Amino acid sequence: MERHTDMRSLDGERALFWSLPALILSWVLVFLFFPGFFPPLPPTMSADEVAAFYRDPANQPLIRYSLIVFNWFGIGVIVLLTLLVMQIRRMAHRTPILAYCYLGCATAGPVLFFVADLFWLLAAFRPERDPQLTLLFHDLAWITFTSPVCFLIGQCVFLALAIFLDRQPQPVFPRWVAHFNLAVAVAIAPAAFSVTTLEGPLAWDGAVSFWLRNAAIGLWLVVMTLVLGRNVLREHSAMEAAA
Amino acid sequence: MSRAPRAAGLAARLREQWRQNPKLELWLAWWTMVVFYQIFGIVFVLMTRVMPPPKPWWEPERVAQWFADTHDGLVWGFGIIFLISFMAPACNALIGYSMRRMSVSPVFAYSYIAIYSVSAFPGMLLAALLLCAGALRPDRDPQIISWLYDAAFMTFVGTMGLFLVGTAVWMVAILLDKNRVFPLWFGYLNICNLLTEVVVAPAWIFKAGPFAWNGVITFWIDTLVFAVYTAVFITLLRRMTVRDDLREGPLPETPQLATTASLRF
Repeated sequence: MERHTDMRSLDGERALFWSLPALILSWVLVFLFFPGFFPPLPPTMSADEVAAFYRDPANQPLIRYSLIVFNWFGIGVIVLLTLLVMQIRRMAHRTPILAYCYLGCATAGPVLFFVADLFWLLAAFRPERDPQLTLLFHDLAWITFTSPVCFLIGQCVFLALAIFLDRQPQPVFPRWVAHFNLAVAVAIAPAAFSVTTLEGPLAWDGAVSFWLRNAAIGLWLVVMTLVLGRNVLREHSAMEAAA
Repeated sequence: MSRAPRAAGLAARLREQWRQNPKLELWLAWWTMVVFYQIFGIVFVLMTRVMPPPKPWWEPERVAQWFADTHDGLVWGFGIIFLISFMAPACNALIGYSMRRMSVSPVFAYSYIAIYSVSAFPGMLLAALLLCAGALRPDRDPQIISWLYDAAFMTFVGTMGLFLVGTAVWMVAILLDKNRVFPLWFGYLNICNLLTEVVVAPAWIFKAGPFAWNGVITFWIDTLVFAVYTAVFITLLRRMTVRDDLREGPLPETPQLATTASLRF
């Protein structure tokens, strides 16, 4: 009976896991097709230049369609984060505190991407509006997208801690996953200060705040999907062999 | 001369704690909470000058001047908040754990964690993002800067329900608890914190006087109550961590630690 319910819960986890490649694909497509990212729009653009970007008939469909796709699927990263919460639950901890920390980051973090998406869509909704108002939503979108990195850092730091404290002969994740997560946290961290400047590597279009940060997020997404997949699929086949 | 050995001694003690302390997860969360509230105070009071808040009756030109005067404090201060706010989930996790350690249903812990996870955006980060947008371009139309200013202070001060209901959830759990995780008087102290969210409501209506967002009641008394409440619960959570035996059932005064984990998710 016990085994039966375990089996069923792992079946569900396997199904959710197979949604992740589609999630990653959608993120990559949004990133490639959103015209504001290639190259990232510099914060030094004037209100009229920003308004012209949203008014450009060549840009309009790309902006709207890519952001609608992100609106649909961006939040899907919560599935990955919750599957990681389940992995933390299986670790040899004394309390559920680290799983609660991770769940907190999983619920509070992705909403920031979502709100940034809403601000961009609002800027694109009525591009004929006063350029100062388009610039306002454009600024809010870029700041919300780039700067509040706290929960991305939290995801990495709490998972690393959980792995270090998973003291058992067969730990849930190998220790390099903890070191990898800490390295990603370090790469993401400087973007918190993107608002301090309009130019240079720290600005929202800069080498650190845009390219390093987003490359780190992309790498994290792929690597964590792979290490998670190894666990979810292995647990499942171990359960099947036992049944 | 004696500093180096002492520092080495501290490092050795910390390493020892890291390897041996069975309550490490609780202590890490508790220290994170202490550090988070210290940094929060430094940023909101000393760097961004958001507490005590500037005036709600200022004309747009005066608001623009405030952004110009406070620019560096705002962008660097909120940069720190954007960096370290991942510590807030550790505070919520420890408080959630306090309810899991009680004799009450897990529904209290899960409600509290969910409510406080939601609160991070409207209660703090949204205000930080709006004020950063205001500071980003000093040449922006003062009317728009004034809108950012109002939106920032009113979301920061006027996000009430999340903290009202969240505090009520913790309070009811404490009053029902038979494991004596907290003293009963702390349950009632929660009413004071809960009431601050009630009396702040007129800030949505008045632009001057004791009930405006910078008013004697709405800001000063509420902040005093919040500061006392926070200091008290940090102290009591430390006390809980010392007493915890990592088992279920009543919390002892001198713990006999469990050898395996008994409390699950």
